[in-house]
Amino acid sequence: MGLEMEPLLQAWSYFRRRKFQLCADLCSQLLEKCPGYQEPDSEFTVSQAAWSLKTRALTEMVYVDEIDIDQEGIAEMMLDENAIAQVARPGTSLKLPGTSQGGGPSPAIRPVTQSGRPVTGFVRPSTQSGRPGTMEQAIRTPRTAHTARPITSASGRYIRLGTASMLTNPEGPFLNLSRLNLAKYAQKPKLAKALFEYIFHHENDVKNALDLAALATEHAQYKDWWWKVQIGKCYYRLGLYREAEKQFKSALKQQDMVDTILYLAKVYFRLDQPLTALHVFKQGLARFPGEVTLLCGIARIYEEMNNISLAAEYYREVLKQDNTHVEAIACIGSNHFYSDQPEIALRFYRRLLQMGVYNCQLFNNLGLCCFYAQQYDMTLTSLERALSLAENEEEAADVWYNLGHVAVGIGDLNLAYQCFKLTLANNNDHAEAYNNLAVLEIRRGHIEQARALLQTASSLAPHMYEPHFNFAALSDQVGDLQRSFIAAQKSKEAFPGHVDTQQLIKQLKQHFAML
Amino acid sequence: MAAASSCGSESNEANSKWLDAHYDPMANLYTFSSCIALADLHGDGEYKLVVGDLGMAGHTMKLKVYRGTGLASESTLLDLPSAVSTFLMDQNEPRTPAVAVASGPFVYVYKNLRPYFKFTLPPLDANPLEQDVWEQAKEDMIDPLTLKEMLEGIREKAEIPLSVRSVRFLAQDVPEMENFVNLHKGQPIKRQTVITCMSTLKKNMADEDAVSCLVIGTESADVLILDPEAFTILAKMTLPSVPAFLDVMGQFDVEYRVTVACRDGSIYILRRESKRPKYCIKLSAQPVGLVRVHKNIVAGCSDETLQGYTQKGKKLWTVYLPAPLMTMSLLDQKSRGFQAVMVGLANQVVHMYRDKNLVDVIRTQDVVTSICFGRYGREDNTLIMTTKGGGLIIKILKRTAVFEEKDTSLGPPVAQSIRLSVPKKTRLYVDQTLRERENAVAMHRVFQMDLYRLRLMAARAYVKALESSLAPVTSTLQEPLKMNAVVQGIGPTFKLTLHIQNTSAGRPSINLLVSFLYDQSLYAMKRAFFKAPMLIPGLNYPIETFVECLSDKGISDVIKVFVLREGQSIPLLTAHINMPVSEGLAAA
Repeated sequence: MGLEMEPLLQAWSYFRRRKFQLCADLCSQLLEKCPGYQEPDSEFTVSQAAWSLKTRALTEMVYVDEIDIDQEGIAEMMLDENAIAQVARPGTSLKLPGTSQGGGPSPAIRPVTQSGRPVTGFVRPSTQSGRPGTMEQAIRTPRTAHTARPITSASGRYIRLGTASMLTNPEGPFLNLSRLNLAKYAQKPKLAKALFEYIFHHENDVKNALDLAALATEHAQYKDWWWKVQIGKCYYRLGLYREAEKQFKSALKQQDMVDTILYLAKVYFRLDQPLTALHVFKQGLARFPGEVTLLCGIARIYEEMNNISLAAEYYREVLKQDNTHVEAIACIGSNHFYSDQPEIALRFYRRLLQMGVYNCQLFNNLGLCCFYAQQYDMTLTSLERALSLAENEEEAADVWYNLGHVAVGIGDLNLAYQCFKLTLANNNDHAEAYNNLAVLEIRRGHIEQARALLQTASSLAPHMYEPHFNFAALSDQVGDLQRSFIAAQKSKEAFPGHVDTQQLIKQLKQHFAML
Repeated sequence: MAAASSCGSESNEANSKWLDAHYDPMANLYTFSSCIALADLHGDGEYKLVVGDLGMAGHTMKLKVYRGTGLASESTLLDLPSAVSTFLMDQNEPRTPAVAVASGPFVYVYKNLRPYFKFTLPPLDANPLEQDVWEQAKEDMIDPLTLKEMLEGIREKAEIPLSVRSVRFLAQDVPEMENFVNLHKGQPIKRQTVITCMSTLKKNMADEDAVSCLVIGTESADVLILDPEAFTILAKMTLPSVPAFLDVMGQFDVEYRVTVACRDGSIYILRRESKRPKYCIKLSAQPVGLVRVHKNIVAGCSDETLQGYTQKGKKLWTVYLPAPLMTMSLLDQKSRGFQAVMVGLANQVVHMYRDKNLVDVIRTQDVVTSICFGRYGREDNTLIMTTKGGGLIIKILKRTAVFEEKDTSLGPPVAQSIRLSVPKKTRLYVDQTLRERENAVAMHRVFQMDLYRLRLMAARAYVKALESSLAPVTSTLQEPLKMNAVVQGIGPTFKLTLHIQNTSAGRPSINLLVSFLYDQSLYAMKRAFFKAPMLIPGLNYPIETFVECLSDKGISDVIKVFVLREGQSIPLLTAHINMPVSEGLAAA
């Protein structure tokens, strides 16, 4: 190449093309040439631009949308000082999963998560975890360590992102935060914003970020809404939800922004005030009609509150605005699947396939839908493909588990046995597979093995009623009425409406009363 | 109190048959229906409530007398009362009834609320062998240890049970035995029984104010009838089991009938001149209460049922109650000749049954443990209840109240009107079934081929898993084992708990070894190889170890656990533990 581009322009071009590493390297070279490396003065405009660009590039490398990250740490779950009423009224809290008003499906049809909510069609932070009831539950690592893990207050994900970028910079961090004069930067709004994002996202140093934001908003005479939102974000990270709420509200007064509304709703969500959050969303919708993120937020809250029908309605609304919204399609699909309309669910999953989603989970769902919609020729092919696409052992275990279900469906118990065994070989903590394997063992007459398997299943997943009930039925069969009663009580706790459990308890009570 | 009684504000519904006269939740009355009676104790026409209070935790037992809403008198009892009755002893004027309190082996009789007479149950025959042994002990022929051995021998073989003294002696520690023997050897051996229930029976007239005899049921499975004046035993009948509830009708000199509910779950009916029960009713569960309505017997059982029988033991009906039964008693509205059974239930409700029909329901503030209906003060129809928390509830039946003799809970069951939400079959579904119908053969073939391939694939994977013992469950017949692992903690130190269980029918597993395989640059483990304890079948063995994460980079890895048999290199079980990221170190 004969013609060399102006280096700063080239760096800018790299940045636009999202080649952040190259951009950062180029900026580093530029800055090394300039003497004001750490302290960009007003005279060195080029170095100032390069410095700003580098901070932005480094930020972009690790940037995760703050709205969608929501991970509650153990401290926040167990030591929630905002909790006021232990027993909230039905329909006003997210902590009571049993308060289904929208005709949610029973756990006999749709499986539930540890917190007692029906599983969603889309894995997103904080939906699957729920709040553990005890410290024991909280510190125990759930079986899918990457989706639903309670984490420490200084959140694992934030830390990991920060350290990952440190690994790539062997000579040390780009900026030494302790040596920065934050007051000086606060007076230069353009630099300050880039610096703030760098501190907040890349360094993950919330306290310094908050200091900078406080100084900057003072400099802007409390008129810049952007700084208020940033202060709110910092407060949110620090767990000061009421202060965050104040900042977001004040920012909203100055400037209507979808982002700010989402942040505010997130604060209310964390404060366990779903109704207020819904109110905020709906106000936002009046200002920005048809905004997809707001609609989606409403749908998520309804889903968390077990109001499946309203959630589905809002997901439909989302699809009207944006017909490629993966979350909405997946949620509606799973909803149809669990309300006994697999053929419609099939349509939705096919749509996802057409949109280019190509992964193990999707083929897994397609296979199951085909099987239950009686399209047998597609079933095994889809599941086989899901197996070949499985990225890790957990995914493979789930596919094997579903294959086991298909095998049970066609009456090939031998194959089912092998499939469930393979599930366990792939994932040692698959409670559902333990349970199903136990049922097969009972049919074979291996009572002791079945008992052990059921005990494992119920200790792995105390929220599932099936192992408790099966254990109760088995104990009842062999005459161990005491154990049967205890297990039946647990089953009733997990699923109060289960008729078979109620009958078993009634029968046992009669036994106990008999002479 | 009666006419001027203020109505309670809570349940003052227009359709209620009851007036709330008094409710004292802090009355401190802990008693049962057998220890509660109503009587005109002073002959002034004002009826008092006599309660044998069981007190709290076996002390402060009292005989309490209530007049109106207040406590009129109380006197201390020496032991827990088992029954309280009021009865007329003689024909003297004024006609003041005596109060009989059964407690332990004694009946204390009070007249004018002053102790009058103490009746003691006749002692039972002591075991002659036991007597001999104590005789020897008295003359210091045997030491306490020999005495203990001999008494234990007697306890196991003899038909007549040991006396209380011997039983207490056997319960003593060895150093205290000497003292015990010295203290008690002087007295002769006595074997005493205790009273379990008590009732009254008119002597020779059916009048309201006729002289009555006491009828006593004892722990030695006897029923005794006492003379009202001399307190001599007029009649003695023996039952097959220990009586728990008594009901008596008739007159002693003419003809009478004693209905006894016993602890063997049977009701026995005794008649005059019969030493043995005439009829026997086998209940479905233990009796909780026994009431006679006119000539029928109503028994409440612990299986939440109320059962009606004729006086000859024929079953009439069964009512299933909504909650366990706490107590029951008779409602006798003499002015209307109406009789019903009142049943206190554990769900804080009192039901009234006329035969098998529910005629009224009262909600109470607490679980009712005793009920009594009758004349109180100057009001004929008063309902007195005490609660589990020691409260006293007094209600008055409205003079206009009429119990309708049909079931109040009528109409079709609730479940009949619930609609099932059966999803409609969609158009799409119909289209798909069409496709299925048209291409049935092709679909079947494809499915069958896929199925064969799947079977092959599954079998291959299964064999592979078996060969490398990947599964956490072994299926070999020699060592059926099961393992699962739980990781706890947030790092850098994790607790790893292995739950190992032997699932064989009866063979323990021995000589098992546990070994861990892990990246030594990432994790450190104190004991990476150790011996498992002997595994008893059916028990879960949690084996705990600690793993320390050495890296602060936020990286995690898999730790493999093997359970091996000694001398074999192929593991029996394998578990892969996906370790979580250590956050403790990273956050610091």
